[in-house]
Amino acid sequence: MARIGVFICHCGTNIAGVVDVDEVVKAAGKFPGVAYATEYKYLCSEPGQQTIKAAIEEHNLDRIVIGSCSPRMHEVTFRKMLMSTKINPYMLEVANIREQCSWVHTDKEKATEKAIDLTRMAVAKVCKSKPLFPDSIGVTKRALVIGGGIAGIQAALDIADAGYAVDIVEKEASIGGHMVMLDKTFPTLDCSACISTPKMVEAGAHPNVTLRAYCEVESVKGYVGNFEVDIRQKAKYVDHDTCTGCGACEVKCPIKVSSAFNQGMCDRTVMYKPFPQAVPSKPVIDALNCRKISGDGKCGVCAAVCPLKAVNFEDKGEIITEKYGAIIVATGYELIKWQDIYPEYGGGRFEDVITGIQFERLVNASGPTEGHIRRPSDGAEPKDIAIIKCVGSRDINKGKAYCSRACCMYSAKHAHQILEKIPDGSVHIFYMDVRTPGKGYEEFYDRTREDGANYIRGRVSKIFKEGNKLICKGEDTLLGKPVSVEADMVILETAMVPATDISKLTGILSIGSDTDGWVQEAHPKLRPVETQTAGIFLAGTCQGPKDIPDTVAQGSAAAVKVCSLFSKVQMETSPIISAVDREKCSGCEMCIPCCPYKAITVIEIDMHEHGKKVKMNVSDVNSGLCQGCGACAGACRSGAIDLKGYTNDQILMEVDALCL
Amino acid sequence: MNDIETKLRETVKRLLADHTVRYVIGWEATRFEDKTRPAFISDSADTDRLVWNKYCVSSLAKYALDEQHSEGKIGICVRGCDSRAVCRLIEDKQLLRENLYLIGLPCDDKEMNICDTCTHRNPVIYDELVGEPVLERQADRFAMVGLMEAMSADERYSFWESNYSKCIRCYACRNICPACNCRACYADQERVGWQGKQMNTAQNQIYGLTRTYHVGDRCIECGECERVCPMMIPVMLQTRKMLKDINEMFGDYECGLPDGRAPVLGEYTLGDADDFM
Repeated sequence: MARIGVFICHCGTNIAGVVDVDEVVKAAGKFPGVAYATEYKYLCSEPGQQTIKAAIEEHNLDRIVIGSCSPRMHEVTFRKMLMSTKINPYMLEVANIREQCSWVHTDKEKATEKAIDLTRMAVAKVCKSKPLFPDSIGVTKRALVIGGGIAGIQAALDIADAGYAVDIVEKEASIGGHMVMLDKTFPTLDCSACISTPKMVEAGAHPNVTLRAYCEVESVKGYVGNFEVDIRQKAKYVDHDTCTGCGACEVKCPIKVSSAFNQGMCDRTVMYKPFPQAVPSKPVIDALNCRKISGDGKCGVCAAVCPLKAVNFEDKGEIITEKYGAIIVATGYELIKWQDIYPEYGGGRFEDVITGIQFERLVNASGPTEGHIRRPSDGAEPKDIAIIKCVGSRDINKGKAYCSRACCMYSAKHAHQILEKIPDGSVHIFYMDVRTPGKGYEEFYDRTREDGANYIRGRVSKIFKEGNKLICKGEDTLLGKPVSVEADMVILETAMVPATDISKLTGILSIGSDTDGWVQEAHPKLRPVETQTAGIFLAGTCQGPKDIPDTVAQGSAAAVKVCSLFSKVQMETSPIISAVDREKCSGCEMCIPCCPYKAITVIEIDMHEHGKKVKMNVSDVNSGLCQGCGACAGACRSGAIDLKGYTNDQILMEVDALCL
Repeated sequence: MNDIETKLRETVKRLLADHTVRYVIGWEATRFEDKTRPAFISDSADTDRLVWNKYCVSSLAKYALDEQHSEGKIGICVRGCDSRAVCRLIEDKQLLRENLYLIGLPCDDKEMNICDTCTHRNPVIYDELVGEPVLERQADRFAMVGLMEAMSADERYSFWESNYSKCIRCYACRNICPACNCRACYADQERVGWQGKQMNTAQNQIYGLTRTYHVGDRCIECGECERVCPMMIPVMLQTRKMLKDINEMFGDYECGLPDGRAPVLGEYTLGDADDFM
């Protein structure tokens, strides 16, 4: 017979304010198998834990039920406490009588009744608990960072500095991401490229960092500590081992296409480096637009001028397979395609309606106008400029419900830059709210207003052209009057959205994403850089809109998580995983497609059937990969799979305790 | 004797003579004119025992499971439904296609109610076809389900209650079903908390429901469960109800076709219906 100890926590008045704890204790004392029941004010406290330990000794308990807060809060605390007793840490059940009872009910009598029911279920379940023991697996001490923006670079540098090898996979030809496109950064106005390029160079030169630019992650197999990743090196058509980056080929390349780095506001050659400070500082060929590769096959000037014969038109790219112990997702953001959803702003018909990132290039010394603010249509210096915030953000009807966080600040920065460079100009900023939560941010906003920026509270309903002017019609909601602003140029501060191919990557990695497509963190507050899949972490704007300081902080945070994983020789895995009863498994493989973690494989085993030795295929669960979600147990018709710690027997005991 | 029967016997004789197969599963006559039974022909001299007529109704596919661990091929006579049963067993990783030689028999003469709603009268897979393909007919597979759905909840409950009060738990429906291929059936296990061994209405109903859920998305609609039920319980009506719901929620869906589609309840896609959430 089990000897169960039941401990009911008051949690101050959190539980005891609604639930009659004494009643619960009294009722629990009569449940079958319960040898001892008591209450305590704060069971998670040191004296609380001592009470439990003493009761285990005194009453010779062999399993424990704790009625307290959610197991997500303190299950780990109590398991750790049990490690120093004779009871296995998994002979513990937590009845959640706080979040699922006292916090959501006001009727004391009924809440007490429910708390008794919840405790009865936990007691019934723990009767069927079995001791569980964690497994341990080895760790490959090499990290993969997907995305070479500032988040990825920061994470990689921190991991590399800690002495571990790290690879950065970047889909573009250079690392740097969005930050290197920006001109100046708020609120200190330091040059974005000047502060990010040293980090890029450091990443390029660090002995522990391997740059894999112009690459994409193709597939991921394995599990925490032991991932095997296929990386597709896209065809560069230039042998980067030979190339010195002299630039002769770029100068001579005769074909020009719109430059994505400069947001389509000027051209680049087909043989190109995305920008002058690119790392690696070696060019690639944009095959799609190359006359030699995709055209009539003539040209080949680049190969002719290359002194080292580094150009190879036959390059087909390759698949590189590498082993990693941890993965950091740092794929960043894109800007919402506003043209499709805001026809009232011209939908892209007006050349002088540009986006914030286009303005960044416009005002940047290495941009298309060498830093002179000139409007795209006629190259004239615009005098009156309108800035519209929240284009796509905070717009449930057309765009996204969320706030993109950085736009309030960079629109203030844009206004400041305009007023600095065009002293006789004017800036009108249409806003809904101004949000400046950050060190020095409010002060910067104040300064911009002192500079003369005209903040108008209201959305713009329509932009249309009148002669040379763009008329922004809207409402000043503070005055309650319609307002019309004549502008030479309009800047739309557009919403951040997840990278287009992020859903493909989250699928490959088996990690979650939210309704907007941002990668889902394991816990919004307490595990912000971890995903639900062990060994996969996230950094930067792939998780949600944020500014540069937050992005860099997350990069470092993710790096610490990786380093702490790598600091162990062997890694412990949770014993709450699926187990296959090979006698029952018919090898139908139905569990395989439903496993979100790719933890189940089929193995061939020897069995005896009707006196014959036969080969049977049965499912096998990888203890490193399995996260204990139980989907396979539900899919298994033979009932061959059970989830340890949540076995069918245990669940049935709970149901019976409640219903019978 | 008909042409097809003659051709079938010749075919089987040839397959046995050239050692393509070790034996062939077909049908043979019994002492009742309107009944046939499965025949296992391993000697080419015995091929004349095989018959092909409107009474060849029992499903043969599941007998192949006995040869799961044997070397070499066996032959099976397959009608449309048998071929789909074979597909089911191959998809469930119970049989290997290369261990089977399928003798296809287009089938249009059976006089069972269940055959009226048949949508695959020609075998969907076979190695050799005996006879000419027959015309497929349009059929409303879910007509009966509609009648059941039209009942009120109370009517429906008493309908199933009275049906399952008759069940003698012989498990014939399970034994014949190609989707029931677990090594150890829950219904046979001792001490399964949610399924009592008692033969009473409540336990019988649980058996019926659980069986429906176990095979619902993999049912090939052969109707064998109903044919073999000695108590005339409309067993397939339950799986058809599941299939109707599946068709409504996941689009057109038929099981046991060689299209490689996984059973819908065993796969997960982002576009899955989730109106219940």
